Amino acid sequence: MRTLVLVINRLLWFVPTLVGLMIITFTISHIIPADPVAFFAGENATNEQIEELRARYGFDKPLHIQLINYLIGVTQGDLGVSIYTQRPISEDLLSRLPATMELTFMAVLLSTVVGIPLGVIAAVYRNTMFDHVLRVITVSGLAIASFWLAILFQLLFAMELQITPLQGRIDGWGPEVITGFFLIDSIIAGDLDSFTNAAAHLVLPTLTLAFPAMATIMRFTRAGVLDAINSNYVLYEQAMGFPSRIIIWKYVLRNALIGTVTQIGLVFGILIAGTVVVEAVYDWPGLGLYAVEAILNSDYNAIMGFTLITGAFFIIINLIVDIIQGVIDPRN
Amino acid sequence: MSFITVFRTFAVLLAIFAISMTGTPTKSFAKSKFVFANSSPYDTLDPHVIYDVGRVASRLNMYDGLMRWLDNPPKLTPWLAESYDISSDGKKYTFKLRKGSTFHDGSPVEAKDVVYSIERILALKKGAFSLFSKSLDPGSTKAPDAHTVVFNLKKPSSIFLATVPAIHVVNSDLLKSKEVNGDWGGVWLSKNEAGSGSFELTRYDPAIGFQAKRYANHFMGWGDKYLDEIEFRTVKEINSRVLGLMNGDFHGTDGYLPQDQVKRLAADDNMNVMEEESMRIFYSIIHNGRKPFDDVNLRKALSYAFDYDSFINNILSGSVARNPVPVPNNIWGNPKDEKGYTFDLEKAKEYLAKVKQPIPEITIGALTGYGQTEQAAALLQNGLSKIGVKSKIVSEPWSVASKKMRDEQQMYDLLWLWRSTYYADPNNWIGEMYACDQVGARNNSWYCDPEVDKLLMEARVEPDQAKRAANYKKAAKMVTDDAGGIFVYNTKWFGPYNKKVKGVRFSPIGNAQEMRWVHME
Repeated sequence: MRTLVLVINRLLWFVPTLVGLMIITFTISHIIPADPVAFFAGENATNEQIEELRARYGFDKPLHIQLINYLIGVTQGDLGVSIYTQRPISEDLLSRLPATMELTFMAVLLSTVVGIPLGVIAAVYRNTMFDHVLRVITVSGLAIASFWLAILFQLLFAMELQITPLQGRIDGWGPEVITGFFLIDSIIAGDLDSFTNAAAHLVLPTLTLAFPAMATIMRFTRAGVLDAINSNYVLYEQAMGFPSRIIIWKYVLRNALIGTVTQIGLVFGILIAGTVVVEAVYDWPGLGLYAVEAILNSDYNAIMGFTLITGAFFIIINLIVDIIQGVIDPRN
Repeated sequence: MSFITVFRTFAVLLAIFAISMTGTPTKSFAKSKFVFANSSPYDTLDPHVIYDVGRVASRLNMYDGLMRWLDNPPKLTPWLAESYDISSDGKKYTFKLRKGSTFHDGSPVEAKDVVYSIERILALKKGAFSLFSKSLDPGSTKAPDAHTVVFNLKKPSSIFLATVPAIHVVNSDLLKSKEVNGDWGGVWLSKNEAGSGSFELTRYDPAIGFQAKRYANHFMGWGDKYLDEIEFRTVKEINSRVLGLMNGDFHGTDGYLPQDQVKRLAADDNMNVMEEESMRIFYSIIHNGRKPFDDVNLRKALSYAFDYDSFINNILSGSVARNPVPVPNNIWGNPKDEKGYTFDLEKAKEYLAKVKQPIPEITIGALTGYGQTEQAAALLQNGLSKIGVKSKIVSEPWSVASKKMRDEQQMYDLLWLWRSTYYADPNNWIGEMYACDQVGARNNSWYCDPEVDKLLMEARVEPDQAKRAANYKKAAKMVTDDAGGIFVYNTKWFGPYNKKVKGVRFSPIGNAQEMRWVHME
């Protein structure tokens, strides 16, 4: 019942949150004194041509009217048309969404699978050499700029060792699109070559994206486990003679994970935003690369569309995290 | 399910993933497939919507025009047209189409397709529209028979012929069948093609690029050596393009990489770097319409305060050619004897002393992300500080600068940028940069001298190229003497290609991205 109330409560806030996000993004993107129409029309364009195009795209109207028209369009499922691609924004975004989602999911999976066990081990062996080494790694993970790490990975793994591809999502054009997730589509198609090829292309972007996220998860897990280890129930279980492996992995971890799961939800949103940098370096044809182009071109509708879709995902993921948190909390 | 089980499952999945990613994936290029890494995204394939150099490959390889610019210096060559005739009053251009040209669906290329193409350009008001908006009215182009096209110009024009290659001919029957709500087939053509060019589209993803196969029935025919397939991929990061070339992922990339990267590629055993002088001049606009920049003495002082040698030889390692006038060195109409300005602070001070009006802090504009513009701005600022002139540098993205350039009040006092080749005629440079009728549009310096303007206007209608050249030479000298801008260099193109790639033909209009002559050895 509590979970149902939570879900309803969050869903009620879903729309106002997105409207607020759109208003803020619209305002910020229009404060910049750029002129997407003049930019798109090119340096040879006449002023009359620019004015006519401006009117055609509705940029000649007052800002608040443009915003209202945009919001009305969104309620009807119309995110507008990109001034550059000439296609509906929803079409552009949907064609790129699977690439970003595949990368983000893999990064979350990797950072979770590696981060949580290492966090537990660091807590269990706290203040040992192992813990110190992990601390150095986590601090590095949080401090190193993603674009720099990406270039280093490219130089080492792709150029020097030649064990991974340099960039791109797959050699060629990938398997027939069913879900848009190349790993899944290649499995459905029974195409092992495409699967291994897509997986190989995922390695470096996933590592780059997952490294700082893994550091965060590791630190949160370590702190959570340390908190739990010092609890009375752990002392009780130790006194009862439970093997420490069972105590740590079955009882302590479940308590410790509550904070970590919250963090994973936040990390997911951060990773989607983080793809902007990683996709640019690895030429990963996803939403991040699209957002970079949209911002450079002042393609307002594309910027709004990207913000809307990432914002919606962020809210949904955090709702799921809240539900999971309620499920795994031993007190429930 | 216990956490131990969950983690074990994850670990197994991770192990499978890790195993699957070991080993370099095989590069399975066909023998005659060429892969190009392009910095600009191919966000649309519609040839009438875009007119930039960055995305020229889709237009040149999948579409034909009546005429084509080839080689360097560019020669205007009949292409779909086999001949043309210009009326004595310079207002009627008649083209005879060669017989046997077909679109990729097998239908013949006819005059009605050329008419539809120019009408489409005029209706969409995008891409190359500005080249034709002042010379052609909608409905004025006629097709008296299947192989004759007549362009009836509003007024005589000597530059019309030079702009004809920008009319990429589309299959009118096909496009009409794809029209939705009077969009001239725009949505469909943004993702498909309707051309007759040397290559036909096989795959397109706006996020990746496009792939095309050789069109065996192309009217020019094919020799023994050709490419079966071409692929143009978007690779935004310079470093990724360079590493990809060295790694063998790509066979070519754009020829305007930073010099350190050019040297890096030149040192690679598998790479060959071609060098050509292009037609892309680098200069600073000076806002001639704003006080005190309307004083020629101040403009001359600015021109003498820029250290040309340091910029070209030290900062750019001599990778460009000094170009002291607003016409590229390698085109007719360039006054070869004009030496322009040198870095001379004494002369700068001398001219500065003649300026009667107070000199405010000067705003030097630069383009964010284009390091050379920022370096040039800093170098000029350094020169100005030595003659006692205060200045500040404002670096803004092109989307912002392109707006300010068209507004007399918002325009920077100076702005560093390039002027690229859209058509190989001096009018593309001086004729647009300093003509009075282009003020606030393509003339962003608000320079308007009646005598210079008269020369430029005459050159626009004069059919005799020798007379036109004389006009442009004289006008270029006058603008330079007036210090209408600070003219620095003409770009050199350094095209990096894999050594297996042969037959690349460079033209400043296409930047060597027309692939019909290229083959792999």
